[in-house]
Amino acid sequence: MEVISAHTIAPHLVNPLFTKEVMEMRGGEKILDCIQCGVCSGSCPARFAMDYTPMQIIRMVQLGLKETALASSTIWICASCYACTTRCPRDINITVLMSSLKNLALREGISTKIETKPKFHRSFAEVVRKYGRIHEPELITKLMKKTDPEALFHNAALGLRLWRKGKIRLLPSKIKQRNHLLAIFEKASKEEI
Amino acid sequence: MSEEPLIGVYICHCGGNISDTVNVEMVKEAASLFRGVKVAQTYEYLCSNPGQDMIKKGIREHRLNRVVVASCSPRMHLDTFRQAVKSAGLNPYLLDMVNIREHCSWVHDEKESATAKAIALIRGAVERARYLEPLEPKSIPVEKKILVIGGGVAGIYASIELADKGYQVYLIEKRPSIGGHMAQLSKTFPTFDCSACILTPKMVYASQNPNIKIVTNAEPLNIRGSPGNYKVTVKIRPRFVDEDKCTACSECTKCCPVKKPSEFEENLIEEKAIYIPFQQAVPNAYVIDKDYCLYFTKGVCRLCERFCKGKAIIFDQKEENMELNVGAIIVCTGYEQLNLKKFGQYSFGLHPDIVSNLQFERLMLQSVHRPSNGKTPRKVAFILCVGSRSNSSNGMEYCCKIGCMNAIKQALLLEKAVPDAEPWIFYTDIRAHGKGYEEFYASARNHGVKFVRGRAAEVMPNGDEVLVKAEDTLFGMQIEEAFDLVVLSPALIPNQGTLELAEMLGIDLGSDGFFLERHHKLRGVETKREGIFIAGCAQGPKDVRETTMESMATASKVATFIGKGEISVSPEVAYVTSEKCNACGICIDYCPTKAIEEAQNEVAINSISCIGCGICVPICPREAIDLNHCTDSQLIAQIRGVCEGETTSPKIIAFLERTTAYGSADLGGQNRRSYPANIRIIGVPTTGRLGIKHLLHAFAAGADGIIFIEGDDSAFSEEQLRNHVIELKKRLHTFNIESLRLVSTTTTLPQYEKMLDLFETFTERISRIGSLPKERRDEIRGKLGGL
Repeated sequence: MEVISAHTIAPHLVNPLFTKEVMEMRGGEKILDCIQCGVCSGSCPARFAMDYTPMQIIRMVQLGLKETALASSTIWICASCYACTTRCPRDINITVLMSSLKNLALREGISTKIETKPKFHRSFAEVVRKYGRIHEPELITKLMKKTDPEALFHNAALGLRLWRKGKIRLLPSKIKQRNHLLAIFEKASKEEI
Repeated sequence: MSEEPLIGVYICHCGGNISDTVNVEMVKEAASLFRGVKVAQTYEYLCSNPGQDMIKKGIREHRLNRVVVASCSPRMHLDTFRQAVKSAGLNPYLLDMVNIREHCSWVHDEKESATAKAIALIRGAVERARYLEPLEPKSIPVEKKILVIGGGVAGIYASIELADKGYQVYLIEKRPSIGGHMAQLSKTFPTFDCSACILTPKMVYASQNPNIKIVTNAEPLNIRGSPGNYKVTVKIRPRFVDEDKCTACSECTKCCPVKKPSEFEENLIEEKAIYIPFQQAVPNAYVIDKDYCLYFTKGVCRLCERFCKGKAIIFDQKEENMELNVGAIIVCTGYEQLNLKKFGQYSFGLHPDIVSNLQFERLMLQSVHRPSNGKTPRKVAFILCVGSRSNSSNGMEYCCKIGCMNAIKQALLLEKAVPDAEPWIFYTDIRAHGKGYEEFYASARNHGVKFVRGRAAEVMPNGDEVLVKAEDTLFGMQIEEAFDLVVLSPALIPNQGTLELAEMLGIDLGSDGFFLERHHKLRGVETKREGIFIAGCAQGPKDVRETTMESMATASKVATFIGKGEISVSPEVAYVTSEKCNACGICIDYCPTKAIEEAQNEVAINSISCIGCGICVPICPREAIDLNHCTDSQLIAQIRGVCEGETTSPKIIAFLERTTAYGSADLGGQNRRSYPANIRIIGVPTTGRLGIKHLLHAFAAGADGIIFIEGDDSAFSEEQLRNHVIELKKRLHTFNIESLRLVSTTTTLPQYEKMLDLFETFTERISRIGSLPKERRDEIRGKLGGL
C-alpha cells in the first residue's frame, strides 16, 4: 500500500532487474505483452480478498516494483482457478506467474501481510511428503504450532466432534511405494515449480 | 560467339574520388594486357559529356564491340553509360560496369591493395564482357480491360472510377447482389450519413454504366496468362431467375412456402427460399436458395413459377463458366467477422440479446428492439476488442480499426432512438485516429455515454437480462451490471477463400492473413505480381472513408499500368533450352512469380511474368535453364576473372543480391566505412542464382571463402536462402571443402554495418582456417571438367 498512499512511485522501490528476473521464470515469459486490458482482474473470483488486482501485480513486474509485488496478498490469495489465464488475450499464464512469484517471495524471505498462507503451504507439503496423502489432525497441529499454539486448545472440541462423525481419522494412513512420491518431491524442489 | 571480342576498358578518376586511392594508370596498364582488350583509357570524369564522347569515339575508331566502364556503382550511372554506347550504335547490353568507387576506393585506405582489387574486378568484367550478348527489351500490348473481384464498396468505387476513365470493367461478386457489408450498415461515423443513401446511388450508377459489366453469384475459377494479358475463367452459379425478365414484383416470394434465415439481416429474421437480398439490391432481381427450395430438396412445389407473370423463373438453369481477357485485376474481397462462438466467456448464441455489432446495425434499421421479446432496450453494453489485439490462439493480433468508432456511433444512435437509453462502452483503449473522430468521441462523452476502461471478462445470461462482468481498471474495482442488450465487436478477418485466391493469383498474404501490398509505404495498392492490385479490407481492416480513398488510388494505379497500351519488359529473363528440358517440372514450384508453366514435353517461361531472379537456373537437374545477361558462361567467366591472378590472401568473394544488398554495400562506401580489401563483391539478381558449380569455379580459381548476402525483401526468401545454403554446404563437403568457407545472411538497405562486420569477422575466420591448398584446387578443377 506504500506505493498508492504516496501517490508517486518511490525510486527506492524500483528494481529494474526484477522484470528480467520474472521474465525468466515460468509464467513470466510474456509479461511485457500485457496491455492492461483488465480481463484478468475482471475474471478473478478471489479479487475481493486481494490488496492489489492481478493486473496491478503484472504492472508492478513491468515497473520493477519487486518488494511491493512480493509482499502483496494477491499472489497468496490466488486460488489457481485459471479463469484469468484462459481469457487473457495476450496469452500470459497469470496463474503460473502467481506461483512463481510465491516461490520467489519465499526464497527472498519477503513476508506477506497474510503470514498464515505460506505457513499453511509448507505444513501441507510436509504432511503429504510424510504419508503420501493428507492427515488433517497433523496438518492443523503443525500449522497452529507455527501460528497460534493456543488455538489448539480452542479447537480441540471441534476436532473431537469431527472425529465422532467420521470426518477425520486420528491415525494417518500411508500410501504404498512412497519412494516414487519422494522422487517427485525431489524433482520439484530442484525445479521450483 | 561469332565475332572476335574487341573490348574497350574505360577507367574513371572521379576527380580523385577513385584516383586518390587507386593507381588508375597502373590499372590501365594491367587492363590493356587482358585478353581481348583493344584499348584501355582513363579520364577525369567519365560521366561528363567529354567522358562519354571519349567512349563513343573509341567505339567508332577501334570498332569496339564490348565496353567495360570502371567507375562508380552501376546503381548510379548504368543508364548513363548504356545510353552513351547505344548512341554510338552498340547494343546497351554489351556494356559492363565495374564498381571501383563505392566498393573499392572509398572503403580501402591502402593504395597497393586497392589497386590490386580494382585490377581483379576489372579482369572479371572483361572476362564476362567476352560472353555478353545483345538483348532487346520486349514491348507487349496490354488488354485494356479490368477484372474487379468483389462488389463491396471498394469494388464498386474502383469500377466506377475506371469506367469513367473509359475502361471496360468486369465486376464480379459472389453473392446475388453487389453492396457488400456497407449495404448492411445503418449510418456511418462520424457524420451520421445514411449508409444506404450514399451507397445505393453508386450501385445503380455502376449497373447503368455501359463500361461496367456486373456479374453476380460469380467467383474466379482459375487465372492464367501474364501481366497485361490475364485469362480468367469465372464460375457463375445459377440464380434460377432471369435477371432481365424479373421485375422484382414480389409475387413469387408471397407464394413461396419455405422460410430460411436471412443472410443480409445477419440471421435475425427469416425470408423465403425465393428472395431478394435487400430492397435496393443490384441487380434488382429475385434469387432461389437451392438449399431450401422445395423443388430442389424434395422435387415438388414450383409455385413461384406459376405465379411469376414475367416467366422469369428458370428451374433448369445450369452453372456456367465465363472466359475473360483482362489486362489487370483488382482484388476487393473484403472481410468477415470472427466467429464469436470461439469466446465461451461471452456466451454468444446462448441468449438472443447477446448480438454482434453488425446484427445491432440491422436491429436499429428494423426499429431498435430486443431480439428476445421485441421490447425496446434501455441499458445496452457495447463490448470492444472481442478477439482483437490478442496473442492467444483464438484471437487476432491486429486492431479491428472500426470497433471503437462504430460502438460510439451505435451508442449515440441508441440515445437518439431511445430517450432514456443508457449505453455503456467497455473498451481497452479508444482509438480515434481519423479526421473528426476524436471530436466524435468527445461528443459521446458529453452525451452521457458511459465509458468503462476494461475489457469485459464475462457475459452471462441471467433470465430476462444479461450480466456483464468487468474490471474498471481506472478505478480498480470489479463491475457487475445487468443489461437489456449486449453488443459484441468481433475482430475482422480476411474473407473466406482469401488463401485460395492468393494461390490462384500468385500473390502473397501477410502474417495477418490479409493480402500483402508490394510496399507498406510506397506501393500500398500493388501486389507482388505486376498487374494485380488490391483495394479495401482485402488488404486489412479499414473504415468506409479509407476504403473509398484507397479504391480511387488503386483505380489510378491501374489506369497508369494499362493506359500506356503496352508494357516494356526487361530482356533479363530466364529461358529454357528445349532439347535439354524433360519437363520434370521441379522449377515450377520454385518460381516466385508463377512464370513457369508446363508445355508440351517441356516447360515454358513467360518472359513477362519472369522477374529474372534466376532461382530456377541452379535448380534444374539438366541445366536446361539459363538467365539472359547473367548466363552461366558470363557468371563463371566473371568469377574466374575476379579470383585468378594476383596473390591476395585470403581471397573472399561476396555475392550480393543486386538491389538491396548491393545498394547496402554502396551505402557503406558512401559513408567511407572501411573493410578488408580482400573482399571482392559480385552483384547477382538473387543469391538463389548461384549453384554448386559457381562455388567450385570460385574455389578452383583461387577463392578461399564465399559470402552470400540477400536483400530482406528479395524474391528469394530468408528461409529459401537458409535451405539453399545448407544444401550447398553439404555439396561442398563432398568436394572436401570445409562448410565454414561459405556463409550467408540477409540485410536491409540501411543495415550495412551488419554486413561489413560480417566481412571482417569472416575474413578473420578464413585467415584462421587458412587458404585452400593448391592440390585441393587442382582436384576440384579436375572434377569440374566432369560436371
